[in-house]
Amino acid sequence: MNLYQDIKATAQAYWITLRNMFRKPVTIQYPEQKRVPFERYRARIVLTRDPDGGERCVACYLCSAACPVDCISMQAAEAEDGRRYATWFRINFTRCIFCGMCTEACPTRAIQMTADYEICRRDPLTLVYEKEDLLIDGPGKEPDYNFYRHAGIGVVNPRGQGEEERPPADVRSLLP
Amino acid sequence: MPTLTIDNQTVTVPDGTNVLEAAQQLGIVIPHFCYHEALGAVGSCRLCAMKFEQGPVKGIEMACMVQAQDGMVVSTVDAEAQELRAAVIEWLMLNHPHDCPVCDEGGECQLQDMTIAGGHGIRRYRGKKRTWINQDLGPFIEQEMNRCIQCYRCVRTYRDYCGGDDFGVMGSRNRVFFGRFKEGKLESPFSGNLADVCPTGVFTDKTCRFRSRSWDLQEAASICPHCSLGCSVIPGARYRELQRVRSGINRQTNGFFICDRGRFGYGHVNHPERPRTPKLQGADAAWPEALQLARRRLTDIAAKVGPEAIALLGSPRASLESLALLHDWAKQLGGARFCGDPQPGRDRAARQLTALLGSRARSLEDVRRSDCLLLVGSDPLNEAPLLGLAVRQAARRGARVIVIDPRPVELPCNFQRLSTGPEELPQRLEHLVSTTEPTDDLSTLRTLLHQAERPILCGGGDLLGEVGIRQLAAAADHFGTGLFVTLGGPNSYGAALLSGDGPDADQLCEEMLAGKIRALVCLENDPLADGPQRMARALGKLEFLLILDHAPNRLSRQADVFLPTTTVAEGSGTLVNNEGRMLSFSTVFNPGIPLGISSEGGHPPRSFSPTTAGGEPRPAWAVLAQLRGENQSPEMIRRKLEGRDSRFAGLSLLDPDGEGQRVRGGGHPAGSHDQSFPHPAPEGSLPLLVVEQLFGSEQLASLSPALDAVQPDPQVLLHPETAAARGLKEGDTIALHTELETFSLQLKLNAAMTPGLLLATRLRDTPLELFAPGSPTPCLVGKGGGDA
Ligand code: SF4
Ligand code: SF4
Ligand code: SF4
Ligand code: SF4
Ligand code: FES
Repeated sequence: MNLYQDIKATAQAYWITLRNMFRKPVTIQYPEQKRVPFERYRARIVLTRDPDGGERCVACYLCSAACPVDCISMQAAEAEDGRRYATWFRINFTRCIFCGMCTEACPTRAIQMTADYEICRRDPLTLVYEKEDLLIDGPGKEPDYNFYRHAGIGVVNPRGQGEEERPPADVRSLLP
Repeated sequence: MPTLTIDNQTVTVPDGTNVLEAAQQLGIVIPHFCYHEALGAVGSCRLCAMKFEQGPVKGIEMACMVQAQDGMVVSTVDAEAQELRAAVIEWLMLNHPHDCPVCDEGGECQLQDMTIAGGHGIRRYRGKKRTWINQDLGPFIEQEMNRCIQCYRCVRTYRDYCGGDDFGVMGSRNRVFFGRFKEGKLESPFSGNLADVCPTGVFTDKTCRFRSRSWDLQEAASICPHCSLGCSVIPGARYRELQRVRSGINRQTNGFFICDRGRFGYGHVNHPERPRTPKLQGADAAWPEALQLARRRLTDIAAKVGPEAIALLGSPRASLESLALLHDWAKQLGGARFCGDPQPGRDRAARQLTALLGSRARSLEDVRRSDCLLLVGSDPLNEAPLLGLAVRQAARRGARVIVIDPRPVELPCNFQRLSTGPEELPQRLEHLVSTTEPTDDLSTLRTLLHQAERPILCGGGDLLGEVGIRQLAAAADHFGTGLFVTLGGPNSYGAALLSGDGPDADQLCEEMLAGKIRALVCLENDPLADGPQRMARALGKLEFLLILDHAPNRLSRQADVFLPTTTVAEGSGTLVNNEGRMLSFSTVFNPGIPLGISSEGGHPPRSFSPTTAGGEPRPAWAVLAQLRGENQSPEMIRRKLEGRDSRFAGLSLLDPDGEGQRVRGGGHPAGSHDQSFPHPAPEGSLPLLVVEQLFGSEQLASLSPALDAVQPDPQVLLHPETAAARGLKEGDTIALHTELETFSLQLKLNAAMTPGLLLATRLRDTPLELFAPGSPTPCLVGKGGGDA
């Protein structure tokens, strides 16, 4: 009774194999051949620069607070012109799980994820990236944004002369 | 005691409580900015709106402005009230800059919290924002005026609570500005509190600017080690560096505020020259080796010469636990000499106080609530700043304040000064008590003290000394008042309780000079700086010197054995403040060379080691236990001390977040020993009085780089009349010849001080350091003269 079923199943299996023999294979010959991931793929992290070439990161510690595996650490400092920056900035890629929380937390668009997924080494210490290794020369995504143009603290433009600012208030004026 | 209902919960509160406080008692948090427990309510931020549904008040009202009354039914979750709060917070945010990422308040910002709590999430305002030009307010406080929400907490703290007058609110309309009239350093010794009270990032701590986020800081309840009041503080450390200190809350002692010495004097913990390894005659050594050597030498001496040949010298900055171990060790050795304080004058004063304080003890809170305060030989702003602040609170409530002192004492309130020479203080007190002369300048004072309901006599241990404290206590008995006497260090009282009627450091020196004492153990003190003047000579006679300390110590290289200990922030323990209150502190972080120093500003090292660089210092109690060959924990030490000495009952149950507990029972005055004969003062000499100053005198704070900018220049003060009689004028460099040293100082004239007296500040690392604070030395004055 079940003989019919058995024969059908066997034939079907052979048919599937046969059909796939003429398909284009999905496997690629990595590493000779490389896959190009989507633009928003989340892999190796970089620190970007603002359109004026300054470091975007203001060392606000938000990415390190957001990181669920605690792999970002840094030290903030103040530059001569009042700019807050990171004296050192370290990401431990042996721990990073590429969840993207850091980039979501970043208020300045400094920390961004790239599509470079080839991060695998024999010596784990080489996966501990310092600021020199992370900082790139361009703005990456959102190329026009410069946090200091909007912050109102007078680093890239004199106080009270930003786009969204009124000139500094005159304390001594009594005009209504 | 009105009973009211808030969000369907009923609560009974004391009369005079406002509805916001009543809600807080129920654990209901209502968004607020301008209300602060110490500053009161002014109703200026309009954020604490609540719906009053039934009772004497109806409708939407500001909870902080309505007194709780019987029968009130209040809703905090009412839709209308919530809507209003959301609107108010949106208005407050209109001009707020887009700079949270670079704002140090971020993470502990009340504005961030209240914005979320108030229900304002997305900005709708698209207009331009108001901006300001900031002021440079000196080395402690950073201003970023753009962030202000006009809650007025800063002016209420600075002007009303702390009595500063160089800071205020200016302008009109939406241009109100909070700052100084002219740019410059904030002059109040309590300026650091602006960083604590400002709910936004307008005022932040400049000394830890951009160092850390609050969530990255290791914090714990601790006690300020910079004077005898024992204010509650919360130090914060990161990467093995103590980065800031903020005020803790203890309603019995400091309340909500601390002084700038306590806040910015933390640098000694990170000091680059802090000794971090055991040393044998200056050469680095390992712990086991150093401990073994010290143990062997001490047992040898005890066996060879007898236990009395060993002296154990404690310190008012050591914890009660380590002092108790040291004290007990003296007994264990079979009767070694123990003394709790290297400075004999201060030691004797403290012991006298422990013997007399008893039920006359008053706390800073009592001072704040007093209605008549007499300060004798006490300069609060320089010796114990929070006492000055407490005196101001009393004065604001109408208390009369009278000061009897030779110094040009300043207080942040109105007071009456009776100028008196330093040696006449005990006499003045005697006159005050004796009723034989009813019509001298003290008679009004007598009447005031008799009429007042809660009078307190405050004194300074340095100037009063042993005799003065006895007189002050007699006066307190006579008038039935409380007593509040400031002492030398954070644990002076504890050290004095343990010392009892044992020898003082002077006596130890004598025995050292006579060759009776052969070995000296110094626990967290620098005998050359703080000990009696002949200490330097006496040290030369020793066979063995062991020093345990955490601060750079002059003797760390000469000592036979030097063992590094931890600071208050790096360990836990107990300190007994000047009113006999045991206050416990907990560990903030573990010692180690700060990362910023060891990595020289660059990224942390890329190599690993199982130990922390510079992590060798150990708590003093642990070192002492190891020297005694025991295994101890602070809990064991506390329990043993309690068991041994019922005065310390309750010690093991103290909570670092609590208010502390007074010791039960007093101590002993130091045994009398013949003071060396008072040398007849040379012809034409003036008494030189060396006194404490807010900055520069206290040993630990003077090591803090943050305070370098406010370090006063060494100078000597003279009354204009005295100066004129000797043909001296302001700005002259005068040579001072004392028995101890000859040096020259700039002369400054001050008409508010007592005539016939030279007044100088005991500055660390100057010749003035060697003078015992508060006891006058005869001094010959000459013009000009070589350098010190
Ligand atoms: S991607 Fe995730 S795990 Fe990796 S650094 Fe960012 S937050 Fe951390
Ligand atoms: S969140 Fe962005 S700006 Fe802030 S520290 Fe991280 S990278 Fe820098
Ligand atoms: S500076 Fe701070 S404390 Fe002062 S009014 Fe503005 S927000 Fe309030
Ligand atoms: S008053 Fe004394 S204990 Fe209080 S913070 Fe100032 S120095 Fe520290
Ligand atoms: S807290 Fe009530 S109005 Fe500000």
